[in-house]
Amino acid sequence: MLNIRTAFGEPVKPGWPWPTKGNVVGAVASGPLIEALVVSCSRLLIGFAISVLVGVLLGVVIWTIKSVDQLLGPLFLGLQTLPSVCWVPLGILWFGINERGILFVLVMGSVFAIAISLRDGMRTIPPIYRRAGLMLGASGWKQYAYVLLPASLPALATSLRQGFSFAWRSLMGAELILAAQRHGLGFLLEIGRSFADVAQVVAVMMMMVIIGMLADRFIFAPAERRVHQRFGLVVAE
Amino acid sequence: MARPTSGILRNETSAVSARGRLTLSNVSKNFDGTGVPAIQDITLECQPGEFVVVVGPSGCGKSTLLNIAAGMLKPEKGTAAIDGRLIQGPGPDRAMVFQDHGLFPWLSAAQNVEFGLKMAGFSRADRQQRVAEALRMVHLSRSAGKLVHELSGGMRQRVAIARSLVVDPAVLLMDEPFAALDAQTRTLLHQQLQELWVETKKTILFVTHSVGEAVRLADRIIVMHAHPGKIRAEIDIPLSHPRDIDSRDINDLVHRIRREIEDEVNRVNANLAPEDQWKPKAAGDLVDCSANLGSGI
Repeated sequence: MLNIRTAFGEPVKPGWPWPTKGNVVGAVASGPLIEALVVSCSRLLIGFAISVLVGVLLGVVIWTIKSVDQLLGPLFLGLQTLPSVCWVPLGILWFGINERGILFVLVMGSVFAIAISLRDGMRTIPPIYRRAGLMLGASGWKQYAYVLLPASLPALATSLRQGFSFAWRSLMGAELILAAQRHGLGFLLEIGRSFADVAQVVAVMMMMVIIGMLADRFIFAPAERRVHQRFGLVVAE
Repeated sequence: MARPTSGILRNETSAVSARGRLTLSNVSKNFDGTGVPAIQDITLECQPGEFVVVVGPSGCGKSTLLNIAAGMLKPEKGTAAIDGRLIQGPGPDRAMVFQDHGLFPWLSAAQNVEFGLKMAGFSRADRQQRVAEALRMVHLSRSAGKLVHELSGGMRQRVAIARSLVVDPAVLLMDEPFAALDAQTRTLLHQQLQELWVETKKTILFVTHSVGEAVRLADRIIVMHAHPGKIRAEIDIPLSHPRDIDSRDINDLVHRIRREIEDEVNRVNANLAPEDQWKPKAAGDLVDCSANLGSGI
């Protein structure tokens, strides 16, 4: 049998890490968890919006200007590989233990993924679109608005889908460590741990997975599929 | 019938005031700056309403020539002009039909045709009317709402032609537009293109590696040769349009011209300074060259 003791010497009862079904359902339905869900989702909306704006801008800039890409491309790639919780200390030092600190971690954890993935996708835009556009009078801003922007839609859809999962994970990591005034899902996870409330921990984790799955299944995957179908990139069933 | 001519100015009967006179004067382009130029000292004038086909093996610079006319490339030497105006960049007065159509996949067939009109600022009602007319001309009225990937290869090329014609260009530039199509579709599009040309009287500069295609379509064939890309011969095709593609006349002409091209290549080669002469590296080289010129028939 397991012979584990806590720091205070009490023996840990074997089998305790398993929550019962009733416990988890109770935890999911509890008020604090729903509140935390709302808090996390509102942070996600704001943070992801910032991330998309900045990431798309950065992606387009490094795709357009080669020298900037040579300078920043490898840096972005490196920062993308950095686990997002590694931004937490900097977030605390620069912004403090508050909303802005959490948003900072979320944005830093997803913005480079969006930029890099958009750039890579836009690199696959056939040059003939640009030539055809020029021939038909689409130059200057018209080239961006009527040719390059629509041509980059498949790349954009893919990068947003990827960026979302990065954003969600970064947010959960940030909330777990950075205990701001408003409590998000990540914070409840930590609370659950400190009170040895396994049911709460499992319930919160399930919530996190479900949110990620729902968003992907009902927003990002269908959007990507529709764009790809329109472009003839996948055969419609 | 077919005769190589050295002069450039012909068709003196055509109206001087008509638009669509494309003039290339002593044009050279050297991509890497050293070595053999892609094209060297090309002088070519297309009269308004003339159907000129440039034929030559791959690598002879015929696409480079077309891209200079389109304004996509700048020549190092010489000038390109349309109706007396220097060509500075791409523009809708020289619409191009690409080999791989270049249609926008995010737009429907009709929206693709509409694109140039939208860029030029035509009103919605005007656009709709012109798009319908252009689609009718390429026999695709019923496919107006289809997306690009829902169209066959031949239909895509017809949409591309409609997209180019709808902006009423002075010159239509065609870069091996039918090279990727199957033989039946190509034959159909040859007929339709001739009908379109008779109807619209556009100047057409058409590039191909197929002598058969050239003979079926051209008023005048420009034969190019590679390394460096130069005009080797000009051949008038004095047959009326639309031409019966399966007629014996055409086929005889194709064979004669192919032989003439071979002779011309040999003759020009023999007249070159010894250091410029093209020496077959292997016995198959010359055969390869003529086979290439004749493919796609």
